[in-house]
Amino acid sequence: MTADHPADLTIVTLLPRLLDTNGDAANARVLAQRARWAGLSARIVAVQSAADLPEAVDLVVIGSGTDTDLVAARDALATLAEPLRAWLAGGVPVVAVGTGWELLSAGLDLPDGSSVDGLGLVAGRASALPVRVADDLAVDAGGLRLLGFENHVRGYTGGATALGTVSYGIGNGDGTEGVVDGSFTGTHLHGPVLARNPELADRLLRAACHARGLTLAPSAQTESVDGIAKAARNQVAVRLSLTSE
Amino acid sequence: MRYAPAILLGRIARTLARWRKPGGGSAVPGLVVNTIAPGFLPRTLNGFPGGLVIVTGSAGKSTTTKMLVAALRAHGLSVFTNQSTANISQGLTSALLERVSLTGRIAGDIAVLEMDEGHGALISGTLHPRVVVLTNVMVDQIDRFHDSDMVAAMLAKIAARATGTVVLNADDLYLARLGEGIAAGVSVARYGVADEVLAANPRGLGYTLTSPTRLEAADGMILTGVSGLDATVLVDGRMHELRLPARGTHYAVDALTALAAARAALLETFDAAVAAAAISTIPPVFGRGEIVKVRGTTVEFVLVQNPASLQLNVDSLDPDTEQILVAIGSDVRDPSYLWPADTSGLGHVLIASGSKAHDIGLQLAYDGVLVDRIEPDLGRALDDFLALPEPTRGVKTIIFSADSMRRTRAHLGLETNEADPS
Repeated sequence: MTADHPADLTIVTLLPRLLDTNGDAANARVLAQRARWAGLSARIVAVQSAADLPEAVDLVVIGSGTDTDLVAARDALATLAEPLRAWLAGGVPVVAVGTGWELLSAGLDLPDGSSVDGLGLVAGRASALPVRVADDLAVDAGGLRLLGFENHVRGYTGGATALGTVSYGIGNGDGTEGVVDGSFTGTHLHGPVLARNPELADRLLRAACHARGLTLAPSAQTESVDGIAKAARNQVAVRLSLTSE
Repeated sequence: MRYAPAILLGRIARTLARWRKPGGGSAVPGLVVNTIAPGFLPRTLNGFPGGLVIVTGSAGKSTTTKMLVAALRAHGLSVFTNQSTANISQGLTSALLERVSLTGRIAGDIAVLEMDEGHGALISGTLHPRVVVLTNVMVDQIDRFHDSDMVAAMLAKIAARATGTVVLNADDLYLARLGEGIAAGVSVARYGVADEVLAANPRGLGYTLTSPTRLEAADGMILTGVSGLDATVLVDGRMHELRLPARGTHYAVDALTALAAARAALLETFDAAVAAAAISTIPPVFGRGEIVKVRGTTVEFVLVQNPASLQLNVDSLDPDTEQILVAIGSDVRDPSYLWPADTSGLGHVLIASGSKAHDIGLQLAYDGVLVDRIEPDLGRALDDFLALPEPTRGVKTIIFSADSMRRTRAHLGLETNEADPS
């Protein structure tokens, strides 16, 4: 952080060139905007290599990429393994979607029977699903409903704690979805999962704010935008024959 | 006379469909014929004396196809084409039915078909195109095509059917790689932009992967400059000027693609000056920067096909545009897919509409765009938007997805894009 432009929160998005297939990198934008609406200053730092790393990091976002780029993305992430390990050890919230999550695991199984080693920073591995899944995904995360879209060929086994249980869709492939491992959250809910699930966004923001002695205050703007999210969510809920909110 | 019964039945179905719903029902006759005579479509398409040209890729297909047809007609060829958005096999068959004789023949020297990459990959196995034209690989309809790898694989499948030439965009790394795998005996015609053109588009040209180096003039046709509606291209050492149907580098690349495709189709009879002049005369394809007069007001239509085209269109929009309506419909199955685009440049949107009104409204809000109203009922949104007082700056601008475009067209009673009768 530069001394003349101090920001309350610094949000980094890792490898947005390689890992933004579904607009997952937009989750950084969502966190930053919600912080700003709460009266905090926030900046987003796009990290393409270790040279881009800011001194202090409050939140980390990792998106999803294509399977063609798996090895390239893994190798690029490997150069950031030390800071990633430090963030996780220090309780910095890290949210990763799809392949961005899978590459931090022990490894990924590919359809041809081969596999790609992951960074081994979070427990578990990405195991092959019988067929590709591309549909809505609804998750019950301890009373909190998460809604979004999934589009993946691998499930997940051996994770620490699931993010929730699947009420519509496939998720990890065993009735659960995602993983929560300390300050790490991994999910197949791709794209702007934090925009469509503002409670999840605020859970991450609150943790980051708490670590800095800041408060996440409600605002009229946040309330208005969450009203739009609610309308979008209810549209999906009705289509999936789930109860509206 | 092998297909006469099927053709007759198809025509009856067409008459019935139009009687029931004027201007609509274009896929039904094709469905009838394809069901009872599955060989009709490939046999007819493969039967043109000058062969078949397929134009496919993520974006730019419609504009490129229209430009290519204009260039070929300017060279004196009679061309069969499907310039409509009916680019699935049913729509194609319906379009063929419009012009086929009962003996199954169609007057025409050559066929130029725009094909959706997914449907194209499905039906191309029965086709023998002389020329396959590949525009680009963009992240598009991710719920259907999953990712760019899959789009590239579908394009490779279509390209593998080419018997003469594969025309491809050398700036698109997926296509550049694909060109290296084309079978011996089939030639590859490349086109690309000059360094300065790429430099003028700091966000790139929208391709999933951009080639690290630019094409040399010796290796293909080059787009050397774009300024407003004017573009310059370098063909065989000579500069040619082009007039574009709308602002934007992507239209200049479409024109370049059409030029390269025209040469591949015409071979030694290709005249770059004739082709460039013909390409310069085409009006905008419906919804691609088209300006129309409707209900006594002037409206610009902007079609968004994927996040890259959303970005290009946001960036090339006149910054003075005061009245904007954005409509995203059911064709955007997964609303995530527009999020890679940064829509903040829109600044202020009067109405967000379409069946995905709340989703696009959410994205606009997070991009810091002021959204006055979210109205999922597109008809009501259009009525209210068009009834607003004239803007003091810019023209009323409607940005829509393909589904919302069709509904807008129907609601406003605007012409449909039926198969080209000429």
